[in-house]
Amino acid sequence: MKATGIPLLRGAYYVFWREMKRLFRQRTRIFMAVFQPVIWLVLMGNMMAGLTDNPYAAQMLGVDNYLIFMTPGVMAMSSLFGGVFSGISIIWDRRLGFLQKMLTAPIPRFSIPLGKIWAIMLQIFLQMLIIMAIAYLLGVRFATGLGGVIAMLLYSGLLGSAMGGISLAVATVIKTPETLFAVVNFLTMPLIFSSNAMFPLAAMPLWLQLIARYNPVSYAVLPMRSLAAVGWIWPDLLTGFFMLLLLNIVILLVAYRRFERGLVL
Amino acid sequence: MESKGEYLSRREPAQEQTAPARREMIRTENLVKVFPGGNRAVDGLTFSVYEGEIFGFLGPNGAGKSTTIMILTTLLAATEGRAFVSGYNVSRDREQVRLHLGYVSQVLAVDDALSGEENLWLQAGFYNLSRQERKKRVDEVLELVGLQQRRKDLVETYSGGMRKRLDIAAGLIHRPRVLFLDEPTLGLDIQTRREIWSYIRRLREEAGMTILLTTHYMEEADQICERIGIIDHGRLMVVDTPANLKKSLGGDLIFFDFAAATGEEQRERALQRLREQPFIQKISPRGSEAHGFVAVTADGEADLPRFFAALAEINVKVSRVTLKVPSLDDVFLAFTGSELREEHGDKEKHMQERFTMRRLRT
Ligand SMILES: Nc1ncnc2c1ncn2[C@@H]1O[C@H](COP(=O)(O)OP(=O)(O)O)[C@@H](O)[C@H]1O
Ligand SMILES: [Mg+2]
Repeated sequence: MKATGIPLLRGAYYVFWREMKRLFRQRTRIFMAVFQPVIWLVLMGNMMAGLTDNPYAAQMLGVDNYLIFMTPGVMAMSSLFGGVFSGISIIWDRRLGFLQKMLTAPIPRFSIPLGKIWAIMLQIFLQMLIIMAIAYLLGVRFATGLGGVIAMLLYSGLLGSAMGGISLAVATVIKTPETLFAVVNFLTMPLIFSSNAMFPLAAMPLWLQLIARYNPVSYAVLPMRSLAAVGWIWPDLLTGFFMLLLLNIVILLVAYRRFERGLVL
Repeated sequence: MESKGEYLSRREPAQEQTAPARREMIRTENLVKVFPGGNRAVDGLTFSVYEGEIFGFLGPNGAGKSTTIMILTTLLAATEGRAFVSGYNVSRDREQVRLHLGYVSQVLAVDDALSGEENLWLQAGFYNLSRQERKKRVDEVLELVGLQQRRKDLVETYSGGMRKRLDIAAGLIHRPRVLFLDEPTLGLDIQTRREIWSYIRRLREEAGMTILLTTHYMEEADQICERIGIIDHGRLMVVDTPANLKKSLGGDLIFFDFAAATGEEQRERALQRLREQPFIQKISPRGSEAHGFVAVTADGEADLPRFFAALAEINVKVSRVTLKVPSLDDVFLAFTGSELREEHGDKEKHMQERFTMRRLRT
């Protein structure tokens, strides 16, 4: 009888298992993952709090508390950052020879990025729960309650997974962390500033509004903001969900191809 | 140590053991690898490694040893030619090849953030084994490389030699038929190197594993390999047993000086006499010293007594004798014309090497 290799999901599970072990041993990484969004939330929240005293600004924000406007934005940014650096782990694995070792094992190659994306998503879920808990302590009350919290986890996870997929796919051809950082910065800064994560669409010039509308970050922020401040606005929720899902499928297909055929050692 | 014995005894079908010809476990046909940019790292390699053999690739840095191994382990695609591992084509039956091979690369591919045990558990997870089986094998390989005591410690607290042993253990977890060891002792101190050699020998003797290793240490090739292929510029210069390779340089050398009192006529007579002996292939003077000569014989240790007997018959004395067996160094130099060479090319590769060295030295 011919022995066979192991199925995709099982391979991905072991990759995921390793990432989890690593994550929970790297205290500084956990510390950073928790405190970076907290700092954003507290600083931005206080800095911008004055805005809502201005009735015109409050109208653009659509809320009378900047923090409730800002929380989904910070969540989206943290998800984006959580995902977008995941390619670094491929670069380190390549340097360590661990990537090569996994590639000589009978696991499907795609289980490597898949397992790493699962790890990113779990990390993002934990981070989002912490952000939401802190927002709660700062007085933010979400309009959709617990259901909304779960839905927001979903949107954050989808955004993080898409960003993680891009980063992992890029890392198949990039060998140094410096180059990957450069690519990532080139990608993330415009993505954030041309989205509705920090400023309302209404406050943007027309051309930027147009870009912001089709920016994947906005597709996560808009539904989350509805969930946080308004309620179950189904058209926003569904559009956001399907666009992010589509984006994920496309990116995972690209990552699949890169890992199966184009992985540079 | 029951578990060890169990690990090492392979359950081969009976007919394979009685088969008359040794099975080819690795076979390449005119293998070529051209890297983007035109570097022909492997340039027409054809060789076979037979079941249960330890085959060594000996060559200077940049000779193409690692590249060849990476093709055989499905990490790189060959530009031309074919290769088979355990009977499977490395470019077509990748999954079967991967199931049958163990690969220990020249860098230390262990995860420092995990414990030794976790590294092995992870590796075992990559093969289709039951949970129980995985547990058993982790114990076995830990025992085999002597890391049972430290299994729960994080790898970042291990010494370079311990990391290398763990890395080798990980390559053994699925009981591969063919094991690839790329520079298994690179950067290790001599004592640790000897330890690793003894593990490698045991794998072959007790588990019947076929092993292809690369090295640029002559001593290593000489000590543990049954056959050696000397490789340079991606080409195999010669393949043979270490003993035959050394013989190919023309046998052993007997360096001798006649006693100072020996007269010219007496010396000529002695040289004449020695030349008549069938075991002596050649005698030549040694440079400037009038009394010093060197004789080439097929088997120095057996021929030395005969050499003395021949001289004693005509009553000529020698004041000193040295027997020199050609070393693999001499063979290597004869075939590659080079010692360690500076490597050119990939910057990232140098980075990786420096990185490995740093981790080995801790
Ligand atoms: N990824 C790569 N890209 C380009 N050249 C490479 C790559 N890997 C190795 N080489 C080159 O191929 C040659 C053989 O390298 P290698 O097989 O690593 O040699 P060895 O293992 O015998 O020291 C060297 O000249 C090396 O610079
Ligand atoms: Mg090498």
